[in-house]
Amino acid sequence: MKPSALVCATAALAALASFAPARAQGGPAQNPAPPRPPAARAEDRASAEAVARGRKQFGQTCAFCHGQDATGGRGPDLIRSVLVRHDRNGDLIGPVVTGGRADRGMPAFPFSASQIADLAAYLHAQIALFDLHVRAPGGYANDIPASRLATGSAAAGKAFFYGAGGCSKCHSPTGDLAGIAKKYDPQDLETRFLYPSGAPVTATVTLPSGARMSGILLLNDEDYVSIRSTQDGWYHSWPRRDLKSVEVHDPLAAHRELLIHKYTNADMHNIFTYLETLK
Amino acid sequence: MKRLPLLLLVLACAASLASQGLDPGKLGQAPTDAWPTYNGDYSGRRFSPLAQINAANVRSLRLAWAFQTHGTTAISSTPLEVNGILYFTLPSDVWAVDARTGREIWHLNRPAQGGLAGAGHRGVAIYGDRLYYATPDAKVLCLDARNGHVIWEVQMADPALKAFGSIAPLVVRDHVILGVSGDIADLPGWIESLDPTSGRLQWRWSSEPRPGEPESETWPKNSDVILRGGGMTWLTGTYDPELNLIYWGTGNPHPVEAGDARPGANLYTCSIVALNPDTGHMAWYFQVSPHDTHDWDAIQTPVLLDANFHGKPRKLLAQASRNGLFVLLDRTNGHALLNVPYVETNWIRGFDERGQAIPKKETEPHLDGALAKPTALGGANWAPPSFDPQTGFFYVSAHEGMGVFYVTMPGPRAEGWGGRDFVLAAKPYLKAIDYQTGKVVWSRDTSGSGFGWPGILTTAGHLLFTTDDSGKLMALDPATGKELWHAYTGAGSTGAPITYKLDGRQYLITPADSVLYAWSLPAP
Repeated sequence: MKPSALVCATAALAALASFAPARAQGGPAQNPAPPRPPAARAEDRASAEAVARGRKQFGQTCAFCHGQDATGGRGPDLIRSVLVRHDRNGDLIGPVVTGGRADRGMPAFPFSASQIADLAAYLHAQIALFDLHVRAPGGYANDIPASRLATGSAAAGKAFFYGAGGCSKCHSPTGDLAGIAKKYDPQDLETRFLYPSGAPVTATVTLPSGARMSGILLLNDEDYVSIRSTQDGWYHSWPRRDLKSVEVHDPLAAHRELLIHKYTNADMHNIFTYLETLK
Repeated sequence: MKRLPLLLLVLACAASLASQGLDPGKLGQAPTDAWPTYNGDYSGRRFSPLAQINAANVRSLRLAWAFQTHGTTAISSTPLEVNGILYFTLPSDVWAVDARTGREIWHLNRPAQGGLAGAGHRGVAIYGDRLYYATPDAKVLCLDARNGHVIWEVQMADPALKAFGSIAPLVVRDHVILGVSGDIADLPGWIESLDPTSGRLQWRWSSEPRPGEPESETWPKNSDVILRGGGMTWLTGTYDPELNLIYWGTGNPHPVEAGDARPGANLYTCSIVALNPDTGHMAWYFQVSPHDTHDWDAIQTPVLLDANFHGKPRKLLAQASRNGLFVLLDRTNGHALLNVPYVETNWIRGFDERGQAIPKKETEPHLDGALAKPTALGGANWAPPSFDPQTGFFYVSAHEGMGVFYVTMPGPRAEGWGGRDFVLAAKPYLKAIDYQTGKVVWSRDTSGSGFGWPGILTTAGHLLFTTDDSGKLMALDPATGKELWHAYTGAGSTGAPITYKLDGRQYLITPADSVLYAWSLPAP
C-alpha cells in the first residue's frame, strides 16, 4: 500500500515534518520547484555565467591555498567559513581579498568589484552544493558514474538473473529490459532494480452475491476496502464485513522479498554490472 | 457598546494574573487537568491517568471542535494545555487556542530570517506566564503567554551555518533547557540551559569532548573533525527529579555518511547522556550507535520507567532508537540491561563489554553502494513513543525497510553529508515491545495512501491512540492492538495526541496534517 518510495534521505529529513514519499532527486529540496517565468531563467543564466567566471578566477588565484573546491588546504576552508556564509554579493569577501591578511600570510589581490562579485557567486554556489551533499558541480542524484557502480561480475549477475534471483520469471533482457542501461542513468537503474516503484497493488473482492470484482487497491484496512475497478473504471468501496473475501496481489512482493531478505552487496554489484551490459 | 464591558472583563482576568499561568508544581505530576510539557510530564511516557474515555465507551467519542491552521506544513508539535488554553506551533507560528472551543486567542506569525523554516517544529515550553519558542532562524524567544508578545530574544546559533531551532524546550525549576538542530553544514551539537527570566546562558554541554579530554581519543588525532563533529540535540529530553538528572539523546556524527573521515566511536554522538540540570555536568553516557554512518541519531525520547526488571524494582530508561535497537538502561548509572532489535537489522556485528553495538564494515556506505536495514529514516524517528504501565508495553511508530548508501566523498577530507542514500522500501508499523525482554509482542501495519509519522498516547482507560498513513485515527486495545474505534481525519499525522480534563470532561486532541481535532464524549 505504501508507495514504493525512493526517498533520498537527506540532512534535514530527520527534522522535516513533511517530505514527499516519491522518488526524490536528492538533496534537501523536498518538492519539485514550480515552473519559473522566462525573466527568472535569464537571471539564472546570468548568475550561472558569474559562477563560471568566479570558478575560473578562483582556480587561478585562490585554489592554491584554499583548495580547488574551496574546502581549504594550507589556507582555511571557505565552505565552513562564517565570514563567507554571512557575505552578501561580496560585501564581506571583498575587503579580505583586496586588503589581504598579512598577519596570516594572505596577500592582497587588486580585484575589481565585478571580479569580487564573480568570486562571491562561485563561493556561494559551492556552499549550496555542499549543503546539498554533492561535490561535483551540477551533481544531483544520478551523477554517480556507471564505472563506480559496475564493480561486480556480469556473468554472476546473469546467473543470479536466471537462477537464484528468479528475475527471468517476469523479465527478459530481450523483452522488457532490452536497452535498459541506455534508458536510465546508472544510479537510477540501480535503485530501480533494487526496488521498482509505481506498480500498484491490485485486489479481487468477492461480493455477498458471489460476484467478483478486480481493480487497483486503494484502501484496505480492517473497516473498509476500496478499489478502482478494471471492469467498469468506477471507484467502489465496501465495509469489509460485507465482503466474502479480499484477495490482494502485490506485483512487487518478489522484489520486496529479494530486497529485504536475499540481496547481498555482491548480488547488487553483480546484477548492476549485468544490467549495464544491456545497451 | 458591547465591546467595552468585554474589554473590562478581559482586563479584570489579566489582573487576577498568575491564575492562567502554569503552577510550577504541575511539572512534576502526571498529566490530568494540564498537559504542561512536550511529553505531558517529565517521564516521557505519554501515559495519561485519565479514564473517563475508556475501552467501554470509546465508541461514543465524537468531534468537539477542529482548528484550522491553514498552514502549508503539517503540525509536528505536541500542544501544551494549561488552564484551558492550548499552545502549539508550526515552524514560524505560535498559537494560543481555547481548549474548550478551539477558538483562537492569539497567533504569532514570525517569518524566519534564514535558517530552516521548512523543517518540523515540536512546540513550546511554559514557565509561569511565559512561553519559550525556538525559532527556525535559531533564536529563542520568550513570549508573554497572555498575548504572544515577545519579552526577550537571544540568538542560540548561527543560521548562516544552517543551524535552526525546532525543539520544544524542557523547563526544570529555573532552567529552560534546549538543544539545537542543523544537519547540513558540519556543526558541533550542544545542550544549553537559559535563565527563564533574562535568557542568560547558564551552561552549555558539548556533544563532543574537547581535544585532550576523556573520550577525545574516539576521534582522529590528525584532524579537526572533532570540532565540527555533529551530534545535534533536536528532541526534548526527560527528567528524574529524585536523581536530579536530565536524559537527552544526541544526533549523528559529521560528516554524516563518510565515516573514513572520522575513524573511532565518535563520542558523544548517537548517545543517551545523563546531565545535571543545574550545571550541565555529565553523569554518564551510553552510545547507541558507535561510529554511525547511516544518519541514525539517538535523539528519540529516553522514556523513564519505574518498574520491575526480573522481579526487582528498578529505575529504568527505555529508547526505541533510530538504528533499530530497543535499549533498556539502568538510569542511575547508564548500564545496559537490554539492547535488542525491534525491527529487522543487518548492520550489527556484535556488542562490546558495555553492551554497545559494534557496526559491520560491509553495511557502511561505500563508493559502489551498500545495503543497510533499517533505512536512513530509521526504525524510529521523531514521533513520540509511549509506555503504558498497565500493559508493561512500550509503543513505537516504526519502519521496516532497506536503504542503499553511497560514499561520494572518499577519504579523510570529506565534509557535510559526504554521501548519498536512498530509501528503497520502508513500511510503517505500530509495534508493542515488552520492556522486560525487548520482544515485539504485537505489530500492526499502519501503511496508507498518505504520509505520516504519528506520535502515540496511552491512557488509564485501557486505550492507545494513534493514526495510520491514510489518516485513520484509531483507539486500540493496548494489550492486543485490536481496533476499538476509528475516525477518518483526511490526512496522516506527524504530530502527537494529548489528553486533558476540563470542566469535568476529558478531551482528546489529535493533529492531522495542519488541523487540530478535539474529541470528547457526549455531554451527560
